[in-house]
Amino acid sequence: MKLLRNLARRKVRTGLTILGITIGIWALVVFGSMANKINSLVAGGSTYYQGKLSVSAKGGMMGVGGPMALAVGDQIAHLPGVDVVVPGVTMTLSDGASVASMGPPPMIVTAGAGRDRGRETFLTRYATGRAISAADAGANVTVLGSDLARQYKKHVGDMMTLRGQPFTVVGILEPTLTAPDTDAVVPLAAAQKLYLSTLPPLVAAKLNPYDIATGFTVYPAAGTSPETVASEIQQAIPDVSPMTGQDFDKQIGSATAMLNSILVGIALISLLVGGLSVINTMAMSIAERTREIGIKRAIGASRLRIVREVVAESALIGALGGTIGLVLGAAIVYLANEAGRGSGTILFELTSGTAVTAVVFATVLGAIAGLVPALHAARLDPVSALRYE
Amino acid sequence: MALLEGRNLRKTYAPSRRTSVQALRGVDITIDEGEMVAIMGPSGSGKSTLMHILGLLHAPDPNHGPRPTLTFAGRDTAVLSEGERTRIRAREMGFVFQDFNLVPTLTALENVLLACDYAGLRGAPAKAAALEALALVGLAERADHRPAELSGGEQQRVAIARALVNRPTLILADEPTGNLDSERSGEVLGLLRQLNREQGQTFLLVTHDAEVGAACDRVVRMRDGLIRDHGLGVLRTHPVERSDAAVSA
Repeated sequence: MKLLRNLARRKVRTGLTILGITIGIWALVVFGSMANKINSLVAGGSTYYQGKLSVSAKGGMMGVGGPMALAVGDQIAHLPGVDVVVPGVTMTLSDGASVASMGPPPMIVTAGAGRDRGRETFLTRYATGRAISAADAGANVTVLGSDLARQYKKHVGDMMTLRGQPFTVVGILEPTLTAPDTDAVVPLAAAQKLYLSTLPPLVAAKLNPYDIATGFTVYPAAGTSPETVASEIQQAIPDVSPMTGQDFDKQIGSATAMLNSILVGIALISLLVGGLSVINTMAMSIAERTREIGIKRAIGASRLRIVREVVAESALIGALGGTIGLVLGAAIVYLANEAGRGSGTILFELTSGTAVTAVVFATVLGAIAGLVPALHAARLDPVSALRYE
Repeated sequence: MALLEGRNLRKTYAPSRRTSVQALRGVDITIDEGEMVAIMGPSGSGKSTLMHILGLLHAPDPNHGPRPTLTFAGRDTAVLSEGERTRIRAREMGFVFQDFNLVPTLTALENVLLACDYAGLRGAPAKAAALEALALVGLAERADHRPAELSGGEQQRVAIARALVNRPTLILADEPTGNLDSERSGEVLGLLRQLNREQGQTFLLVTHDAEVGAACDRVVRMRDGLIRDHGLGVLRTHPVERSDAAVSA
């Protein structure tokens, strides 16, 4: 391609300019993939909260917190506009939080086991094995999320130790790209027993182990919004914290939006620097080819034609930098994900949208950067340009 | 038939804010179709400036004297926009410059194709025309060579091929043999004469080489921004019907 020949005139200079764009795109791809991952997690949570709300003890959130009596669930069930209430017990898998993960820490959660009476809309699929059913009540069985299963190398039929208790793995979930991937699902009674073991002995002694819930999942009746039910609960029942999808979006959503902005902002700044480098390179390149431009204009190249030639060259620089940056970024993403897979830490999600955006953005950036030098070149007086030494 | 008619052509350049150079002080000139005209004169006589104006690269100054006029092939060029002038240059004129002026990253063929492209000719017809032009100058088998692989004379011949590929009515050459030794000069000169005779194109050569002048139908001599001699006194081997035989020297 003739354009490539022009770039090859000054290989080092062109190479460095391309490198500038490459670094910017590399940053955009890597940080963008991080942001994608966070967004998926958040979107998963937001989707989960469609059409339901979660009630926890005051000071708790999303079903994690202090113990409540099951009677609280009955109270909620009697409120107007409430269809089904499902008690659950949720706790962290281990006491040391997993710091490396970008998402929620691994949790032990309670299986619905049909108590939602079909109201649950966030359906998880099973890669192997089966779901926990009502028949498993009282047994120590568990279903593992995809990341957890991979991290501990468990298959259906293996034994999994949860908080010191042995559980038989009966099923493994397919990846959801959000919280369930790091969950271990157990029947309610088993969860209650495990929860008790996390409390100080004095406190545990005062509680009836089978009368505990750390959270209630409340499904509103048809035609009633979760927000309406949430305010009813807030007024009617003391010492509880209801959380709807809107609350979730507000709290978690805004924090992640800020993180997104920072990450992408960093990448855009480095791209801006790359773009400036392209402007500089094209300006130098045109200065060196002043005579050539004069000749082209003299033999009949229109001003627009000159602009197109210059912009095409700078766009090519952008495209090359973008493609190389994408390849390098994808390599980092792949390697980091592979390295993290063993410990269940998937940090990056490189979507085809991000990939295409990266290359297109780099190309457009290159084209725009070349525009100013191009316009300058087109306005050169052919005669003076011809005489230029 | 007059191809180019210029009256009251003036041009002043301002190289810096305080200095200005009157390159042309009022020139009248007529170039007939099929003529091969040399424009000669010492440095600073304005011959290059005249060529630039006749080649529509610059417009003559409208002020400080009677209004200038310039018609090319019957068209009044004063009313043309920059884009229209560029189009005429692309389709109806050909340019050869002193320093070869080929694009170094393109092959000989691609350099000639540039002129086709700017005139709106592309694809297979363009390639055929370009190869024909290269054959006319005797360089068909060097079509895929870059300028660096060609000798000075060959580079100049490629530039000539580029100038005539669109079959323009007028070819302007600024010191076409300036950088060549005498043997190459002779070759190039012979080629230009041959093209003038066989293809009938009008040639305007700016030069200070007496040999080039001798090869042309007439020599216009300039000094200090004015034409001193239209060279009509001695008509050479190629009589052309003159449209203003009574112009005085």
